[in-house]
Amino acid sequence: MTQYFSQLYQKINTFRGRRVFIVPTRFGFIYGGFLILILLGAINYSNSLGHILCFLLASMGWVAMHHSYRNVAKVELINGYADPVYAGQAIHFNLVFENRSHSISYQILLASKQTKSQSWNLFKRWGGFEHDYIIARLNSVEKTTVNYRIPSSRRGYQLLGQLRVSSQFPLGLYNTWSYFNSDAKALIYPMAQGELPLPKSSDYGDQITDPNQKGNDDFSGLNNYRSGDPLRAIAWKALARDDVLRIKQFTGYQGGQLMLSWNDVVELAGTEARLSQLCKWVLQADEAGLDYGLSLPNTSIKYGHGDSHRHHCLTALALYQNE
Amino acid sequence: MTGLTLGAFPHFIYQPIWVTVMFIAMIIWRIMAIRHMWPLPTKRLSSLKVLHLSIAGIAFLLLFISYGNLIGRDAGVALLTVMLGLKVVEIRNHRDYYISCFLGYFLVVTNFFYSQNIPTALLMFVVVVIMTASLISLNDGKKSLSNKGLIKLASQMLLQAIPLMLLLFVLFPRIPGPLWGLPQDAHSGTTGIDDSMTLGKISQLILSDEIAFRVKFDGNIPSPSQLYWRGAVLWQTDGTTWTELNNRNLMSSRPTFTTRGDEYAYITTLEPHNKRWLFALDFPSEQPSTPSSHYTYDGQLRSIKPINQRQQVRLKSHTQYRLNPNKDDYIDAALKLPEGMHPLTKQLAQLWSKQTTDPMQLVDKALTYFNQNAFYYTLRPPTLIGDTIDSFLFESRRGFCEHYAASFTVLMRAAGVPARIVTGYLGGEINPVDDFLVVRQRDAHAWVEVWVQGQGWLRVDPTSAVSRQRIEQGMSSIMPEGFNTPLFMANSRNLIDLWQQIRNNWDALDNAWNQGVLAYGPELQKEFLQKLGMTKPDWQTMALWLAIGFAVISLIISFYLFYHLPKRDPVAKLYYVFCKKAARAGFVRPKQQGPLDFSILLKQQFPHLNKQIDHITSLYIDLHYGKKSALISDLDRAIKRFKFTPTRT
Repeated sequence: MTQYFSQLYQKINTFRGRRVFIVPTRFGFIYGGFLILILLGAINYSNSLGHILCFLLASMGWVAMHHSYRNVAKVELINGYADPVYAGQAIHFNLVFENRSHSISYQILLASKQTKSQSWNLFKRWGGFEHDYIIARLNSVEKTTVNYRIPSSRRGYQLLGQLRVSSQFPLGLYNTWSYFNSDAKALIYPMAQGELPLPKSSDYGDQITDPNQKGNDDFSGLNNYRSGDPLRAIAWKALARDDVLRIKQFTGYQGGQLMLSWNDVVELAGTEARLSQLCKWVLQADEAGLDYGLSLPNTSIKYGHGDSHRHHCLTALALYQNE
Repeated sequence: MTGLTLGAFPHFIYQPIWVTVMFIAMIIWRIMAIRHMWPLPTKRLSSLKVLHLSIAGIAFLLLFISYGNLIGRDAGVALLTVMLGLKVVEIRNHRDYYISCFLGYFLVVTNFFYSQNIPTALLMFVVVVIMTASLISLNDGKKSLSNKGLIKLASQMLLQAIPLMLLLFVLFPRIPGPLWGLPQDAHSGTTGIDDSMTLGKISQLILSDEIAFRVKFDGNIPSPSQLYWRGAVLWQTDGTTWTELNNRNLMSSRPTFTTRGDEYAYITTLEPHNKRWLFALDFPSEQPSTPSSHYTYDGQLRSIKPINQRQQVRLKSHTQYRLNPNKDDYIDAALKLPEGMHPLTKQLAQLWSKQTTDPMQLVDKALTYFNQNAFYYTLRPPTLIGDTIDSFLFESRRGFCEHYAASFTVLMRAAGVPARIVTGYLGGEINPVDDFLVVRQRDAHAWVEVWVQGQGWLRVDPTSAVSRQRIEQGMSSIMPEGFNTPLFMANSRNLIDLWQQIRNNWDALDNAWNQGVLAYGPELQKEFLQKLGMTKPDWQTMALWLAIGFAVISLIISFYLFYHLPKRDPVAKLYYVFCKKAARAGFVRPKQQGPLDFSILLKQQFPHLNKQIDHITSLYIDLHYGKKSALISDLDRAIKRFKFTPTRT
């Protein structure tokens, strides 16, 4: 039975489109009270202009309601995406809004709520929004990208959740709001921390060691730059000479293969601490320009380097036992 | 803040000067704080806080001293102004801002206790726009709107609100006030005829240009010398001051009267004068339906309640009548004179009464006396010393209607003829713009009634014996030419006429405003709605129509807000004009035909216009599809000049 009603409710909702709520603010109620006072005064003194002013202000309030509704009703959330961040850092959601009305919308307040609560109690659904952000203006018939920051909680995917778009513009007498259930999500890598030193490449037997290629600093020549090559290896002098981006090749490089393994961090207490340590190692290895791989109990990633490889590894860490 | 100042501005006129000074000082303090970072009283700057508080304390003390209390209209408004001034300096957060805004609206309302004319109404709209703009700016935290944008949005909202306001004004069920007691001074400051007359009092009124009432006659208008508007009847005198006969019975019983001749029906719109007279044309033959009123035995038509708001009265009068012709219960009071006063006057009257006892002849004698001796009619009579009547009749001989009426009455009484003074207005001016007869305070007048057995009370106007002009042509003929005209205009006849014309138009507008807008109360609302076709305008029907109107207007507003018509490209618009010209010449462009093809077709038909058609087409193509290097004004000019003249054969 309840299911039937909830289905019916959803049907009606899709028919009506997005719902826009509008409720007078505290000042709206005070304004109303003032109007009643003015009306009483005007009646008492049989003052015609008093009536006119009261009616004018009442009409202004009424018109303000339409403006307030208009200001929010035609704002649509088109898209949302965010770059991955490390746990503890703020997520920057790039939210694309479109103002579909022919007038500019002002002072749009964004707030989000991570957990979706489908309580029957409407009042409960209104609460719990935080991380206010004000969009000063959305130009008419235009898309605007807004950088909306929320703090990240834990590693894994974090949903933007329910987004509330509200405004008290123009007179502050009404609060108009509407909800968007965005499926935009951000990937949160584990926090990069840990005290353990980066394991030595030589700890691994499967490494090809060549006595001639010992020192990492032995310069062996210049290669053309490929995306993913570490910045600090770029041959800036060579670039200045002939405008071709090259990287310096060091002999130590080829041999720097490193497997970052779960087994190395078992001494740390707790999964999160281990993942954090691995995360830090990945970054260190990447920084050092090593070829590194990752071995987790449920998955392993082969040697590689570059941005996409790093992302691949960090994603594995972020989603470890967390999908 | 500008809004607040503007809202408070009209109050400066009648408020004590220190209230104004304080208010402006506070506003300046605030402006300086914004512009030049002047410190404001906050918790940290406690010395300023103390200053602020002490200003407040002194202000309240001064208020209390000058008004005696803080309740009542004038004191209340002054208090509001002071509080608002103090608040402005204190504004710190949203809440303060809103409260001062709302107080500002209140200040605007209080304006209306003093004046409700058109400029006040316009000022109200300006104040509302500015206040709205400041509310918008308050809600526009990041200041993405310029000042111009704020005002524009606020005005836009105001314009959208006006239809709703009108609807509410017309249809909102009006409740007759007052709901509770009004403060004592609610209606003070009105001018008009008093219920007593001291020599020299009316001449103050004469200098007032204020409107006393307006009259709209249904049919013809009596001659100016018949336009006696009856107010108070004064019986008793102590030698200088004349008062009404304070007798309950006289006030509540009806006189016997008969009327003859033409009946004049008219509607009088009384300005509030805070007294009860309805100023009916002498003599009212019927009591009006509203307001509730009664006759007095001495022929006054008085309202039950004082007229303290503008009031319309529908009246009927006859200028020929007999009032208490056979018997008057209070005839003794009309013969009384104070003991031992006016010896010379009494002497003269007794001399006459020895010659004749016929009242009409005695009246004639007195009038002749005024006429034959060197009496002057003047607005600025010399101050009378000693016995006022004697010194007027035998020494100064310069006076005004009240001097003549008073001395004439004394003469009559001394001669044994019952006489009393009637005050009111005489004449009035027809405004040619709306045909309303406008009676101003300067038309105030006093005349005399004598009682003759069988004929009743007869009106005698001793002023007419001195100045016929005053009676027949009205007050303005007495006034020096150019009276009430700005000085710089007073030298030229044309300018005076122009000024008069402007004044007439303004008066008519003002009158329409008064009759239509300000007088719109429960009765007028009923009348108006019935005229609109509402058979039973009770509050339910009004509420229904109000709801319907609200829905319709809301729909229009939302439609306006949500569905703008797409703006047409100006270039396309111009080309459309061109196509229309072609269509008128008989060549309609098919929808799918491009401009080039169309031009070829046109050129075939109008070979002599080849050049122009090519020019227009190339301009259009460039502007609409191409590089936009041409100027729209060129296209505009070319198309406007272009004509499909038939081929020359």
